[in-house]
This record gives sequence, structure tokens and C-alpha cells, in this order.
Amino acid sequence: MNSFRGVIACAVMLSPAALSAKPIAYAQGTTVMVEHGADTMNEVQVFYAPRYDWSFGAGYLEIDGLAGREREIVYARANYLAKRWNSEDAQANVFIWGGAGGASANQGSGLTSWNAGGQVDYETRRVYSSIKTDLHRSSAFTHRIDTLQLGIAPYEHDYDTLATWLVVQGRNYTGGIHEGVEWAVLLRLFKGSAWIEAGATTDGKLQAMAMLNF
Amino acid sequence: MKIFLATLALLSGAAAAGTIEMKVHGLVCAFCAQGIEKTLRKNPATDDVVISLEHKLVAIGTKAGTDITDAELQKALTDAGYDVKGITRTERSLAEIRASLGAK
Repeated sequence: MNSFRGVIACAVMLSPAALSAKPIAYAQGTTVMVEHGADTMNEVQVFYAPRYDWSFGAGYLEIDGLAGREREIVYARANYLAKRWNSEDAQANVFIWGGAGGASANQGSGLTSWNAGGQVDYETRRVYSSIKTDLHRSSAFTHRIDTLQLGIAPYEHDYDTLATWLVVQGRNYTGGIHEGVEWAVLLRLFKGSAWIEAGATTDGKLQAMAMLNF
Repeated sequence: MKIFLATLALLSGAAAAGTIEMKVHGLVCAFCAQGIEKTLRKNPATDDVVISLEHKLVAIGTKAGTDITDAELQKALTDAGYDVKGITRTERSLAEIRASLGAK
């Protein structure tokens, strides 16, 4: 745990920070994201952005913990782009979000749940880094999912070409969901409005995510 | 005949399509930059759009007899999440820009 915190702290210090999939695409754009997280979590999100700096939508998150299916959460959420830096060769962002919904868990169903989180990212055409934290809380449970991603591109993609990234991901779950940090290596590809990434954790489980903007 | 040709030249000049080139900061991800093209294509004056991450360039071909103001361009790029650092109206056609960039 301490080593993971150290890696996150180093990443934040070494770069203006990072994000994986952005919860806001662009003004009047819709983002759909689906993620399978190594047999520990599955999540679906749909967000619509009235402006470039905020979006709203809904999500579904299911957590499979050490004792099987532990909780399912359905939530409504608003995302806000708190800060963006655009430079000639790089972009960095700070996103925050919050929401509420309903949940069912081993300890009961019909629970009211709360969600809050944030994300920071920094990327050039060759280097990518992101750090994200996502907290869900109800009267029966509290957990947080912290995700760090560091990526490198073997070549610089352009607007009309396929982008290829190799990404190392570290993910830590609090709330007794998973013991230790889940490390994964991912291949990320995107072109046009479609994004897909897939890989495996160190214990051989599938980690995958797909995203579409329209 | 000379009057006819002069009139024709005048009309074609007045109705000529234009090209706008913009220097843009923050252009590092093609997936994220999709919003630029989508936003600009909503403008009725836009005929075509070329984007180059390598050259930090967004170029717009406007329809004959139309233009897009600098304020509209600034707003479009801001709405897409980017910073415009320069706007130039050029004689180069979009085809020439594409060819120079090696873009599709």
C-alpha cells in the first residue's frame, strides 16, 4: 500500500498529472465508457456535455470482492473540468465529480449512495500519465478505487492515423475489496471516435475498457 | 467580350471559397480533437476541415461567398477545449494544405 502511494506521489510530482478516459468529451458531445476491471469491477458510464467544461450522466458499477459479488451501485453524476492547460506540445487537465444514487450490497439493498472523485492527467503525443480516485459511500459500505496509468507511445499518431499506446496501470481498492495493488499492462488503440484498450493483470486477469464519443 | 470576362472574373472573385488556418495549442490527442471537427462542421460556412497534430494546425475551407469571424472561430475552439494562438486567412487551398501535410 505504501509503495503504491509512493508511486502515485512520484507520478504527481514528476508530471502535472494525468487521466485515462476523460469524463467530458467536448461541448454537445456524448461519451460512453465500458470497463471490465480484472474480475473485481465492471462499470458502464454515459455522459453528455452541454459545455466543454462540464458533463452529466449516469453510471453502473458492480464490485466483486473477496467474497463474491459485494455491491452494485447505480448513480447519477456531474463532472467538472476544474482546470485545463494547453501548451504547444502538451495538455493537462484536472477533473472533479460528484453524484448520488442507489446501491445494494451484502449488508442490504435500497441504500442511498454517494460518489465523489477526481482525476488529473498530463499527455504529449509520446507520454501519458493519469491518476484518478473514485469514492463510493453508503450507510453500509465505503470504498475508493485509485487508479494510476503511465503510458508511452511507440510513435506519434496524427489526427487521421491509429494511435497506439503501451500503458502500465496500478489500481488500489480500499474497503476490503481487494488485497494489494492490482498491476496491469495494457495496449491502447484509438482512431476517430473509438477507443479500446485491453491487457492483463499480473495474475492473468483481463483488464479492458472501450469508449466512444459522438 | 472583355466586359463579359471582366464581369466573370469579378463574380468568381467575390464568390471564391476561402481558407482559414489556425495555430492551436493542446492538440496532442486525435480522440479528444474530434470535437474540433464536429464543432466547426456545425457552422454553415464550413466546407471542409483539416487537422494536423504534428503541425498544431486546424484549417477550414469555407464555402464560396462565406466567412467565419475570428470571434466565431475562437468560440468554436474554446468550446472544443483548445486554445487558438493565431488565425490566418490564406490563399492556399485545403487540397494544397492536405498535400503539404500528407493528410487524407
